[in-house]
Amino acid sequence: MEEISRSVVKKDHAAKVSGRSIYVADYPSDGVLTGRLLHAKTARAKMIGVELPELPDGYYYVDARDIPGDNNVNIVLDDMPVFCRDTVEYIGEAIGMLIGPDEKKVEELLGEIKVYLEEMEPVLDMRKAEKNFFEYNFGHGDVGQAFAEADRVFDEEFETGYQEQAYLEPQGMMAEIEPDGRVFVHGSIQCVYYVHNALKRVLGCGDEGVHVLQDVTGGGFGGKEAWPSILACQVAVAAKVTGKPVRCVFGRREDMEYTSKRHPSYCHYRAAVKDGKVTAIDADVIYNAGAYSTLSAVVLQRGLIAAPGIYNIPNIRIHGTAAKTNTTPSGAYRGFGGPQTFFAVETLMNHIARELGVDALAFKEMHIAKQGDLTSTAGRYHFPVPVKEMIEEVDAACDYRKKRAEYASPQTGRYRRGIGMSMYFHGAGFTGSGERDLIKAVAKLRKYSDDTVEILAANGDIGQGVRTTFSKIVAHELGLPLERVIFEHPDTGRVPDSGPTVASRSLMVVGELLRRAAIHLKEIWADGKEQEVEERFKEPDFVLPFSIETFEGDAYPTFAWAVNAIELEVDTYTGVAKVLGAWGDFDIGTPADYNVALGQMEGGFLQGIGYASIEKMDYNQYGRIRNNSFSDYLIPTTMDVPKLVCMFHVEKYPDGPYGAKGAGEVPLVGAPAAYVDAMEQALGGIPLNHAPFTAEDTLAAIRKEAI
Amino acid sequence: MVNGRSAASLQEALKIRANEKVVPYAGGTDLMVENRKDVTYLFLGKVPELRQITADDEYVRIGAAVTFTEALESPLVPALMKEAVAKIAAPAIRNAGTFGGNLGNGSAKADSVLIEFVSDAKLRLVSVRGERVVDVDAFYLGRKKLDLMEDELIAEIWLPKEGLEHYYYEKVGGRNALAISRISFAGVYGEKDGKITKCACAFGAVADTVLRYRDLEAMLIGKTKEEAKAEKEAFLAAYADRMVLTQGRVSAEYRKDVCLNLLRAFLEKFGI
Repeated sequence: MEEISRSVVKKDHAAKVSGRSIYVADYPSDGVLTGRLLHAKTARAKMIGVELPELPDGYYYVDARDIPGDNNVNIVLDDMPVFCRDTVEYIGEAIGMLIGPDEKKVEELLGEIKVYLEEMEPVLDMRKAEKNFFEYNFGHGDVGQAFAEADRVFDEEFETGYQEQAYLEPQGMMAEIEPDGRVFVHGSIQCVYYVHNALKRVLGCGDEGVHVLQDVTGGGFGGKEAWPSILACQVAVAAKVTGKPVRCVFGRREDMEYTSKRHPSYCHYRAAVKDGKVTAIDADVIYNAGAYSTLSAVVLQRGLIAAPGIYNIPNIRIHGTAAKTNTTPSGAYRGFGGPQTFFAVETLMNHIARELGVDALAFKEMHIAKQGDLTSTAGRYHFPVPVKEMIEEVDAACDYRKKRAEYASPQTGRYRRGIGMSMYFHGAGFTGSGERDLIKAVAKLRKYSDDTVEILAANGDIGQGVRTTFSKIVAHELGLPLERVIFEHPDTGRVPDSGPTVASRSLMVVGELLRRAAIHLKEIWADGKEQEVEERFKEPDFVLPFSIETFEGDAYPTFAWAVNAIELEVDTYTGVAKVLGAWGDFDIGTPADYNVALGQMEGGFLQGIGYASIEKMDYNQYGRIRNNSFSDYLIPTTMDVPKLVCMFHVEKYPDGPYGAKGAGEVPLVGAPAAYVDAMEQALGGIPLNHAPFTAEDTLAAIRKEAI
Repeated sequence: MVNGRSAASLQEALKIRANEKVVPYAGGTDLMVENRKDVTYLFLGKVPELRQITADDEYVRIGAAVTFTEALESPLVPALMKEAVAKIAAPAIRNAGTFGGNLGNGSAKADSVLIEFVSDAKLRLVSVRGERVVDVDAFYLGRKKLDLMEDELIAEIWLPKEGLEHYYYEKVGGRNALAISRISFAGVYGEKDGKITKCACAFGAVADTVLRYRDLEAMLIGKTKEEAKAEKEAFLAAYADRMVLTQGRVSAEYRKDVCLNLLRAFLEKFGI
């Protein structure tokens, strides 16, 4: 193990386990007003107006008319309003906010507001969308010719569902006006500068008019990438109008029903096979973006880039749309568009192999890309692709090939077994040239006269451990004990913009800036003196520039790789599947802290297994999500954790700190494909095409196929 | 405004119950999360008479304020009941949740109630006016509908001491813990001198109340195993015909498939 990988006690461990951490809901309520949102109850309507009850002194109602700046939340397209405009686009859309000192009274008054709407027919089916927010087309080779020359053509459809982030702490934000007139917003946040920039537009001010602090944050998983920008604007407008601190913390049902989730997907794939090999893939991908575009552009991009999987297919054509529907805006969730298309392409490859009568693993191995090959965007795999070695490691850990052969024989009892495998990547860092052109990350180190060193970076610890791993890197380079390196939650009033806490980028990109800054500081170190150093992102020289217009170039400088195997036993009487074991081999480069990295792998893998099996969420014919509580939307409990074996395969990335690369998201991405593969085997080799695959789905398949 | 009353004895509890409009509770694992407004709760968790597990010649008597954890630790409670209770929620909830509460909640998903149905349990209901003993299926009328007077309290659950040894139990939840039953099944089997004497089958969580069809059970009573085998498909078909299930968190179709599969598994377990 590298020295940097040796585990330490996390910086926030003691405060969190002893319950001393202050989350946004924990700040004293003295003088703080409670804000509650007035949510639309109709999926699509023309807004006519609201009729307020008599508001007692000290109670306020704010809506779009009170916005000092512009009623658009800065995300990607800025189409999401702070408070609804002249139409309602989804159930839950914020019409206004009621604010006052007593929470119960606020709730009561909220219930008395009359909302006048003219209902319209909502669009709920992504395949019947009237509008696509984004549409991309790319590919290479001659797909038409490959299909014309094919021995066989495969045509399949795949679907995946919502997944709720289910962070422990719901969305919550607080705003106050400081004595100098600056608006101070703090709360449960992944990306302080996203919130900061959103506030500037809505408040109509510059950088000097606002600052944003991340409070201790109880999990994000992507769910606090964009939504905090919306809620921050809402509480900031309320604070502006009332002149008092305003806090809004979502209830669980409110959070589950109205905030963003993973995009449901529909994929239509065609594949051409010639001489036993896939010669072409033609994929048509739809992601349900919901009512506003929010992050869908980038989620879809990542999904499309992964559409041909990790395979070197000479001819590909990829077409994808982010469809507008009258449902809650879909957003970021660990994996960010990757799990959907990897599920489709991995399952497609399994089905083709089965139809050709060859072993799926051997078939996939034949197609795996290698170092130097073209990526789907005609960039290069610049570094070794370790997947074949990782397959051997997983096989050694769980006897995959032997079990696969064993479970392939006909099974007739009540309980039947299967084992499945998936192999995939997660592109490390922002898609395309975002790091270079948009983010331009800056990080600083400030040394104080007592020779402690403070990290000034915008990345927020949301449980993934960056407060610890960043500090370890700096302490390591400076030869300081860990406690002499400080990294507080970021406040845009005092840290530079080192970019958002997303895309598995923090450690790889900002961690490397900090490592270089620490080396620089060491060179100029003067005991007892205050000193500051700064580092700026520079794109590595090897990177082939990426064009978002043509989807050509290196979408990512490097990739985290993974191979997953899942073994399960299905009860054919109840449909309930028991995961007997789940093995994940993950190449995240050098782990920056072994325990932190292992925690990420185990947690992410389990979330993936939940996504594959029991986490089912849908809306009804009115566009309403009904399973909006933890008794109706089930995630795995500790009793549902199977034998979970996570391993590291280290392929060092030269431009990440000590060889580290993106780690946060990769463990979740491949579980649905491996799970459904195992399920297909347990059910006698029938093709399955959707995830999650629930107990109810299993019995429906048994009924349909008369197994 | 929420008020709380508590009682140190059953007599005191019954007086309060007779004179005030109160919602009785003990563990509060369901009621407290409801966060009702403007109610007066009557806390029964410290009433000694309701906290005992005893046995007489015929019955094991479980006090209404006995927790699931206490039942699991008692040598008197039948294995079938323990198996069901062990799957309720999670340890912390089992430490607080009680038999009376599980019944009083009026849900066909209640895991201990299914066992009371299949074992022909009786309930002892008490009030200042006296007491009465009723069959559980006469008490449990439908969703949130109980044959319980405004002044009555559930005092005890009486489970037969004998005859619950041969059983088949299965709970199908959405996951392994903290899972509300989606389908639950309990079957109790008995035979004497080569003839079937008992074939009780109860289905939970699939309709407004726990389902049991005594006339269908009678199809197999008095038969030998061989005769029962010959009758098996007709028996299953009769259930398929009779069971009208509701859609809940899962479809009615799924529920029915599982019910019939588990009924078949029960018969198979006892060689039918």
